[in-house]
Amino acid sequence: MGGALAGEVAAPADGLSVGGGSPWTIARRRLLRNRIAMTMVGVLVVIVALCLSAPLYSEYIAHTHPFRSTLDGTTIVNGKSVPVMHADTSGLGLGVTPIGPTWDPGHYLLGADNQGRDVAARLLYGGRNSLLIGTAAALLTCVAATIIGLLAGFFGGIVDGVLSRLLDVVWAFPVYLLAISLSTVLLTRGFALGPITLQAGSLFLPIFIIGVVYVPYVARPIRGEVLSLRQREFVEAAIGLGASTWRLLWSDILRNVITTVIVFFPLMLAIDMLTESALSFLSIGVQPPNASWGTIILDGQDLLYTRPAVALAPGIAIAITVLALNVLGDGIRDALDPRAKLRGAD
Amino acid sequence: MARFVARRLVSMAFVLFSISVLTFLIFFATPGVDPAARIAGRNADQATLRAVRKDFGLDRPIPVRYALMMKKLFITRDLTSYVNRGAKVIPQVLQAAPVTLSLVIGAAVIWIVFSVAMGLLAAVTRGSPVDATVMILGLIGISMPVFWLGEVVNLITQSRFHNTFLFSWVPPLGYTPLTQSPFGWFKSLLLPWLTLAVLYIGIYARVLRSALVEAQEEDYVRTARAKGLSESRVLLRHALRTSLIVFVSLFGLDFGALVGGGALLTEVVFGLHGIGKLTFDSLQNLDLPVIMATVIYAAFFVVLANAVVDVLYAWLDPRVRRA
Amino acid sequence: MTRVRRPCIALAVLALLGFGGAPASAAPASHTGGTLKLLAKAAGGTLDPQVNYTLEYWQLFQATYDGLLGFTKAGGNAAFVVVPDLAENLPTPTNGGKTWVFKLRKGIKFSNGQPVTVNDVVASFQRIFKVKSPTSGTFYAGIVGAKACLAKPATCTLKGGVIGDAKTNTVTINLVAPDSEFKYRLAVPHASIVPANSPPNDAGTKPLPGTGAYYFASYDPNKQLVMKRNPYFKEWSKAAQPAGYPDEITQSYGLTVEAQITAIENGQADWTLEAPPADRLSEIGTKYASQVHIEPLTAFWYAPMNTNLAPFNNLKARQAVNYAIDRNAAIKIFGGANLATPSCQVLPPGFPGYQPYCPYTKNPGTKWSAPDLAKAKQLVKESGTAGEKVAVVMQDDEVNKAMGVYLQSVLNEIGYKATVKPISANIFFTYAQNTKNKVQINVQQWYQDYPAPSDFLFILFGCESFHPGSDSSINIAGFCDKKINAQMHKALSLGVTNEETANTLWTKIDKMVTDASPMATLFTPKHIDFVSKRVGNFTFSKQFYWLVDQSWVQ
Repeated sequence: MGGALAGEVAAPADGLSVGGGSPWTIARRRLLRNRIAMTMVGVLVVIVALCLSAPLYSEYIAHTHPFRSTLDGTTIVNGKSVPVMHADTSGLGLGVTPIGPTWDPGHYLLGADNQGRDVAARLLYGGRNSLLIGTAAALLTCVAATIIGLLAGFFGGIVDGVLSRLLDVVWAFPVYLLAISLSTVLLTRGFALGPITLQAGSLFLPIFIIGVVYVPYVARPIRGEVLSLRQREFVEAAIGLGASTWRLLWSDILRNVITTVIVFFPLMLAIDMLTESALSFLSIGVQPPNASWGTIILDGQDLLYTRPAVALAPGIAIAITVLALNVLGDGIRDALDPRAKLRGAD
Repeated sequence: MARFVARRLVSMAFVLFSISVLTFLIFFATPGVDPAARIAGRNADQATLRAVRKDFGLDRPIPVRYALMMKKLFITRDLTSYVNRGAKVIPQVLQAAPVTLSLVIGAAVIWIVFSVAMGLLAAVTRGSPVDATVMILGLIGISMPVFWLGEVVNLITQSRFHNTFLFSWVPPLGYTPLTQSPFGWFKSLLLPWLTLAVLYIGIYARVLRSALVEAQEEDYVRTARAKGLSESRVLLRHALRTSLIVFVSLFGLDFGALVGGGALLTEVVFGLHGIGKLTFDSLQNLDLPVIMATVIYAAFFVVLANAVVDVLYAWLDPRVRRA
Repeated sequence: MTRVRRPCIALAVLALLGFGGAPASAAPASHTGGTLKLLAKAAGGTLDPQVNYTLEYWQLFQATYDGLLGFTKAGGNAAFVVVPDLAENLPTPTNGGKTWVFKLRKGIKFSNGQPVTVNDVVASFQRIFKVKSPTSGTFYAGIVGAKACLAKPATCTLKGGVIGDAKTNTVTINLVAPDSEFKYRLAVPHASIVPANSPPNDAGTKPLPGTGAYYFASYDPNKQLVMKRNPYFKEWSKAAQPAGYPDEITQSYGLTVEAQITAIENGQADWTLEAPPADRLSEIGTKYASQVHIEPLTAFWYAPMNTNLAPFNNLKARQAVNYAIDRNAAIKIFGGANLATPSCQVLPPGFPGYQPYCPYTKNPGTKWSAPDLAKAKQLVKESGTAGEKVAVVMQDDEVNKAMGVYLQSVLNEIGYKATVKPISANIFFTYAQNTKNKVQINVQQWYQDYPAPSDFLFILFGCESFHPGSDSSINIAGFCDKKINAQMHKALSLGVTNEETANTLWTKIDKMVTDASPMATLFTPKHIDFVSKRVGNFTFSKQFYWLVDQSWVQ
């Protein structure tokens, strides 16, 4: 497998070449040429930009206070003033239903939630929290899992034994119990870890908890792959050539394992954004009246039979983000793959 | 082999012990969780509280309480719940186990079949719209939280369209034991199986496709192709096996966790009295004996599943055997 | 035995009710029979009537256990009337109100065939202390010998307190001091009479034999509870323990509330314990309106404020919160104006001693009309507590959580920095009571135990109900005003002799407590019962809510 040990690569003489240079330069150029991947980058940029512009949207376009309960508010639909929370008058006159999507960006574009707040504005604000927590947690998971998987799979023996048992304990750990306990502790007093004091609303907590909890999920597959790679001829060849352990790990094994990590990253991002809602429900992380896509889905659960849009909107947002990231990930993997030159036009 | 098993048993005991100790400590470190007042009832007076605390051994030091609970759980096997007094914990777990097994095994069969089919399809038609559609469907599945999906399924099949020919076969929510009525068992579990499987189909199809695409570049696959084998034969007999390493690793983790009660939200939404529901209720009620039993039960299966997967690696990738 | 009994009961019931009570057209000749299927999210704990303190099972104990006295099993305010149950009559206490003599009825048997004797009565009262009933120290502490029993429950004899005389078939109860509420306390399930040989500890999941029209046949707290007709039951008092219609009553656990509502709509079950979720209300109010029963409750939703902790140790701060809360908004969260009425005071409408009073509104007087935000903001400034951090604590179910989030928004608007802390329902109640947790403001509900103003005012705001550092300190606001407390004691002793004068004094106390503002009352709720199509003769008792066995299913 000569390609795996490639350092500098000479430019192949066909019309699709991207010129010569270091593997990273080649990869970058290949990526930039990949139109689909670039479109996905564009999609992600748009999503992030929209979320960052949340204060502008709520103040200048929607004219709403997304963190204040406006149960008695009114808004304008088709020129008429209607209450945001509509009390049912038919039959026995039971129930109060928030306004549904008006498709008017200036007035409750996606409708209101059960506190009378603008869902569209909260969706944008929520995106910031979700993207931050999801990305940070997924990064934490992938980095830690790669390191642990590499060490456990490559060195075997006691190192593998200890790390694998640690992964078992983490995976079997009663996370919900910990979350309930932690949230109650945080309610009564802040949680002090040395110089760091944590409040209930601190985003560091969900990032850490979610990040750590899913480490086994990525580490064990990587460990499995490393176990398999370790026996391969190119590794034996490299050892025969006198390569040092760390060089081996870094340049050969890691390069082959990185594609798996790239595939996992968007998957973990989706899972993390959804797990974050469970933690918010238990009062860790995003607290009312702040929003995240996960908490808006939870709000929408209580409105499922009357206003399904509230739960649907953040779900669609998550799906689009994950999809874009996934396709981009494929593009990156293709760009990094030294064997791509064998495939021709792709 | 015997040494392998012995070593794994020892490490399993270690994992179970650590988890049980951690659970115990976390429980009693939680403020406001003192069971005495909740057991004594609302507006109980101080003397009553003190008496109840003594009754439940809550006035002893923590290691003693832990030892007593472990003794009741494993040796005398008569551990009773804090909340439903007199109800033994172990029979509750044993009664709930078949429900969870039915749910998880059925869902696992469905998700394996679908994700392998989708992964293969996507890998074979790589780059085409078919590939894109399959992957998009999978990713939508990951983005739908299972509690939301379950409620929507109920909304459609039990509420809105219950009386149409499409869904009139759907039985009331709940579990029908296999021994009571096999057809009823199947009907009551079909929708929960599909709901639980959707999330995993997305992940596994994606992972498998990627591994297959990788494998297609490998030497041994090129060799097989050069030997004149058809593309599908190449895929199925050669590439698939080694691509399954990631797949199998994940499956061990997921299946182990689910059998131990990880499908709690699915069980809650569909009214299935399995281990997951038991775990969920015990967490809501802060019923330590039941929490302890379900946590140890779950940890057991997690460790077991991972051990089985480690054995499977050798079978999947012959190159590992040489280790 | 059952087959012989059933036709007699059916005839007796029909004769008593008369055909006028049943709907005129095409009603079946007899409504008895069938299985009534109840639903609840989760089981209600122990089945021991002397320990359990949940509405869920108190509703079922009505049909399975009896005390010396009982509340009338009828709808409306008649339900507040205490009538003799196992006793032959309701005695007037003698000896300055300290001695009650009951003559036990003859011929009543437990569901295991044992006859009820004075021995069982005496043993049951001792058992209240032996099982450490939650109200042993509050409701029954006034019985002679109770103090010794509270100190040493295992050897409780209640010597001199509860004396049985087998020859005259009477039971005499001696109190340390007269108690105007004693008759109510004998009518609640904690004073049920159970066999003398019942185990001296919490029966838990093994039901005790009872004298009611039904008995508990089986109980699996994860799945289902089954009640069947008591084969030894012969109706002795229609008012206290009427015969029931269904042959079997089951209560199943495990479905989410949404699933339960759907099941009732589909006719797969008959009733749910839980209130319909907010997003189903309009559906059941329109499509299923004939299956909905709404009843006003003597209960209230309120937000106690910790009077011993900043910022609510300041009277102006508390009053500001009261002025700022828009009770209409809170009612919207609860389900709309047809399900709740705004309130500012402690006592609910219809309660003895209730006179409408509301100072915390735009036009103070008797009714609440609108919040006064300007006044609230001004009061916050005057109090000097502006900008302080406040944490709103509440239960994490749908309605309570929304209520807490709304309160947070209000507090932020008037100048505080508010956060919310939702807590699991199971820990919440004890958590909120313990002063160690430093809860500043929380969302509470209180439902009456029995129809006496002291059950609201004295229990919730009396100094004796405040136990710092304990999980059981129902005076959550920590309110202790010596003057008001003295008035409460005066009203309590007045109540022994002259209920009317006592009630007038309670009205005054209600005003005083409302003015001191230890809590912000939100509204008085109405109770919704959603039943399936086949359920008939729905009767709602204000004391124990829906009389389960008095409805028929066929």
